[in-house]
Amino acid sequence: MAGISWHYVLKFIITGDAAVGKSSLLVRLTDQRFLANPDPTLGVEFGSKLITIPEENKVVKLQCWDTAGTESFRSITRSYYRGAAGCLLVYDVTSRQSFQNARSWLADVRTHADPHLTCILVGNKVDLCADDAARRQVPTEEAELWAKEEGLLFVEASAKSGVNVDAAFESACRDILEKIRKGVFDDDRSPGVKLSKPTNGNVAVDGSNGSSSTCCGT
Amino acid sequence: MDFLSQTYVALRGPTGAPQTPDETVTRLADRLSPSTLLADRRAAVLALKGLARAHKQIVADRALPGLLDIIQTDADVDPDIGRAAIECVSSVCDTLDLQYAQRDLGYVHTDRVLENDRTVHKLLALLADQDRGLRHSACLLLTSIVHVRPQKAQAYFLKAPVGPGPLVGLLEEPGDVICHAALNLLSALIRQSPEIQKVLAFDGVFEKLFAIVTRDGGLDSPNTSVEEALKCVDTLLRFNTSNQSYFRETPLPALLASLLYFDPNIQPDMPVPQEFALQFWNSSKAQAAALVLEAIGILLGSKGTGLREGYAFTRLLIEMAMASNAPTRLKVQCLRLLPASAAVLLPDMVLSPYMPVPETNGEEWDRLEEATGIDALLELIMHGEYNGLDATRRQKEGMDLRGNAVGVFENFLLDDRVKEAIVTGMLPPSPSERSPVTPLLFGLILPPNSPLDRVNVTSLQFASVLFAHLIRHNPTTKALARQIVPPALTPMSAPSSATSGPGGGAFFVPADGAPPPQPEVAEAKDAEEEEEDPQTLLQLITEHLALAFLSRSRAGLVDREQRECDRVICMYLALLSQWLWEDPQAVRVFLEAGGLGVLVEQLNQPSELDVVVPGLCAFLLGICYEFNREPGEITRATMYPLLTRLGADVLAGRTARVRDDERIKVVGPDFWVLPCPTPTALNPAFIPMYENETEVWFDWAFVEFWKSNNNTIQRSIVADPESASSSAAQSGEESVLVASLRTVIAKQSAEIEALQTKLKELSTASSAATKQSAELASLQSKVQELSAGAEAAAAKLDEEREALEAERAKRAEVEKEQEDLLVLLDELSSKRARDKVLMREKGLDVSEDEGDDDEDDEAE
Repeated sequence: MAGISWHYVLKFIITGDAAVGKSSLLVRLTDQRFLANPDPTLGVEFGSKLITIPEENKVVKLQCWDTAGTESFRSITRSYYRGAAGCLLVYDVTSRQSFQNARSWLADVRTHADPHLTCILVGNKVDLCADDAARRQVPTEEAELWAKEEGLLFVEASAKSGVNVDAAFESACRDILEKIRKGVFDDDRSPGVKLSKPTNGNVAVDGSNGSSSTCCGT
Repeated sequence: MDFLSQTYVALRGPTGAPQTPDETVTRLADRLSPSTLLADRRAAVLALKGLARAHKQIVADRALPGLLDIIQTDADVDPDIGRAAIECVSSVCDTLDLQYAQRDLGYVHTDRVLENDRTVHKLLALLADQDRGLRHSACLLLTSIVHVRPQKAQAYFLKAPVGPGPLVGLLEEPGDVICHAALNLLSALIRQSPEIQKVLAFDGVFEKLFAIVTRDGGLDSPNTSVEEALKCVDTLLRFNTSNQSYFRETPLPALLASLLYFDPNIQPDMPVPQEFALQFWNSSKAQAAALVLEAIGILLGSKGTGLREGYAFTRLLIEMAMASNAPTRLKVQCLRLLPASAAVLLPDMVLSPYMPVPETNGEEWDRLEEATGIDALLELIMHGEYNGLDATRRQKEGMDLRGNAVGVFENFLLDDRVKEAIVTGMLPPSPSERSPVTPLLFGLILPPNSPLDRVNVTSLQFASVLFAHLIRHNPTTKALARQIVPPALTPMSAPSSATSGPGGGAFFVPADGAPPPQPEVAEAKDAEEEEEDPQTLLQLITEHLALAFLSRSRAGLVDREQRECDRVICMYLALLSQWLWEDPQAVRVFLEAGGLGVLVEQLNQPSELDVVVPGLCAFLLGICYEFNREPGEITRATMYPLLTRLGADVLAGRTARVRDDERIKVVGPDFWVLPCPTPTALNPAFIPMYENETEVWFDWAFVEFWKSNNNTIQRSIVADPESASSSAAQSGEESVLVASLRTVIAKQSAEIEALQTKLKELSTASSAATKQSAELASLQSKVQELSAGAEAAAAKLDEEREALEAERAKRAEVEKEQEDLLVLLDELSSKRARDKVLMREKGLDVSEDEGDDDEDDEAE
């Protein structure tokens, strides 16, 4: 029993307007269930998950902080950007307003976060458009285009059906691992990326030291 | 020197005339402006700092904005001026001034500093400054600001552009002074602010805090920063589920176990490391360990499943509570934190308890025989820590430990089958034999001989509480318990085993089972058995209750002895109330064993001072009356006159008065070890035997039982003997529920009755109807027959009529013929007469007689 082992700990935050489904995405990711009637998030909730990226042969421990989208908590949410390695910027495909507000959220991220932070734009609630295309207020192409302009990853997902939720996190992780491989992050530069090291407890972490030296060197 | 001369000039003034502080400060404040040379500004700040304490108000009024500007602009460039300015602001914002009148000024000035967020933000940034002194003074000023105006400062902190990074970084610094300051600031900032707690967790504050703990040598370190860091961990975790779920994913929970020298990866078959069981303890380590245990408790209680260290934590708590040399206070804490679900592990867990070697001052320890967790727990409850080593003193911690152990035992009993198994284990192996001696049974049957032994009384109380847990509201175990036939206690065994000496002690070790066979014991037993039938447990307790009342009434008891008597009596009354409740057969046994007489005698001449004993007697009598539903010598009808003589209302009143007694009133779910004496007012002259002595009267389960059923009994005690049982409820809520259900049932049964009568009516009606319809049918058929008959008759009639008609016609014809014939005859006779006349005329001989005959005929 060597405990749970992982190569990296990546800190993620989920941000975006109120009621776009941030908490539901997190719960879908960590518990594989749909949060039917969530209360508005007060402050920040936490969840974590191990994600394996087969191409890199790496296990990543994703620590995800779910932030409050309500305006009154916005200043608090800003405190999290600085320490994050990845950010899910969420909007609701059935709400034009939430997509437009994504610009100001992105501005916040750009102001406060590490410049190398990986940001993925997530259009949530696509399940609502499956039956009734008229409900969609943000065309996929438009969002994709904006993401490209801003240098963001992009995916449309549904916390309800689960479609693309894991994919969203995984593609963000891949991007971060890619950056690590390219040496964008020095070990200490981004507080959001941590190599796993055996700590003072008795928990041994397998293979972390060996892999870390190589992956940062290349 | 430059600084001194400049200051001197500033203070003296250009003319050398004496100056007021006001003038001096104003002049110094003027020099703070950015147009002045840096060196001059520095000198002015230093001078102001010197004046700030004595002239708080003036310095703040004249120079505060300037000082804040200097912090904002100069501190980065020149650490000295920065530090001086910060210290100066600290002085004017000081709310802990020795002069009380100056304190309010500190609040006013702090509010001025907090007018906008720039100073706080700057100070937070300065926490990461190169200069150590500057970091330190910024940290101190921030701490004082957060203490004075926490909400505002916390709000600014959350919006700070630098974020919490510099503060978290400060925790990494070597050196006690700055680390201590940083911990102070941290603990002030995180107080009551879940947002800050989460932000800091996000920024890795847990890791930094534990780094401080391990860096300083763990819990054994004399350094206070270990305890302070653990206090911060406690605040960060306690009410913050988000942080809890973060924390449990980290390697830190394992570290918690390691800090106590416990193996976080321990498996059920692995023994516990001895360095865990036997540690060196001092008060500072105990404080720190208490915090570690709290954190473990929070994690065990936090939501979510699959805590990796779950088993290790549970085991740690159990081992520390029952098989270690940890301070009693920590053991109490361990049992309190043990989750309810952990109790099922106890029977399979093997513990190695330790005992201090006498006269070694806790430095040498004997390892005792291994025992299962549940045996060790029972042993702990029945006799106290270290086999009752210090039980006679009844110190708070030791009593709390036993009380909390009862709580764990209660969790163990959550499944009714466990209760049944335990009570079954107390039954005699065969009808002719007696029950085996279990520690619980032994504690329960100790006779209340006077003078009462303090240790025994406490054992008796805990045994009774445990036994009550087994049988309360459980008809199955009550039925089983009635069959318990306790083993005979010989005069030898009882007192000797009551002391904690080695000989008696062996008797108590649960693993030993039955006492060692002693010839005298066997003889005595035989002798006793020959004399009388063995008593059941219930009979024995009834007898002991009578004995206890007897010893209480003896003249010449000192206060302390009386109190012990009262304690025993209360305990018996409480146990019996719970046993007899809803158990008519047990009521029967109790009444026939003389219980009624005991209660009535007590109620006849109740104590004027004490309300609890008479109240409980009345309560128990009420229960006996209410549940006396089995046929027997003493029926409700025979009890009723007794109750009337005692006054049913009086009894109900006595029962109600118990409520006001402190011994019942103050008991709570986690609080039933009371300071001795409780209540103090009852006997102000009472002096406990030992300092800080505590005492137990009733446990929460009984108090709850009493509170929910007291009203029912008050009602039923005044009820008519013929009235049906009105009480079958188990608790207040349930009794309400039962009452409401009962009304529903009554309503429904009334409805059913009504419906049934209706149905009956209807059915009779319908049967009548069927009868009628049958009659009708028969009638109809008759009618049909009749009508058929009638038809036939009519047809006949017609025929007849026709026949009649024909007859008539015939007759008429005949008549006519006759008439015609008559006419013809008439005509013939008239013709004959005429012919006769003619013949006479002609002279023909005509016979007269013919004519006469004719006339005669006509005349006839």
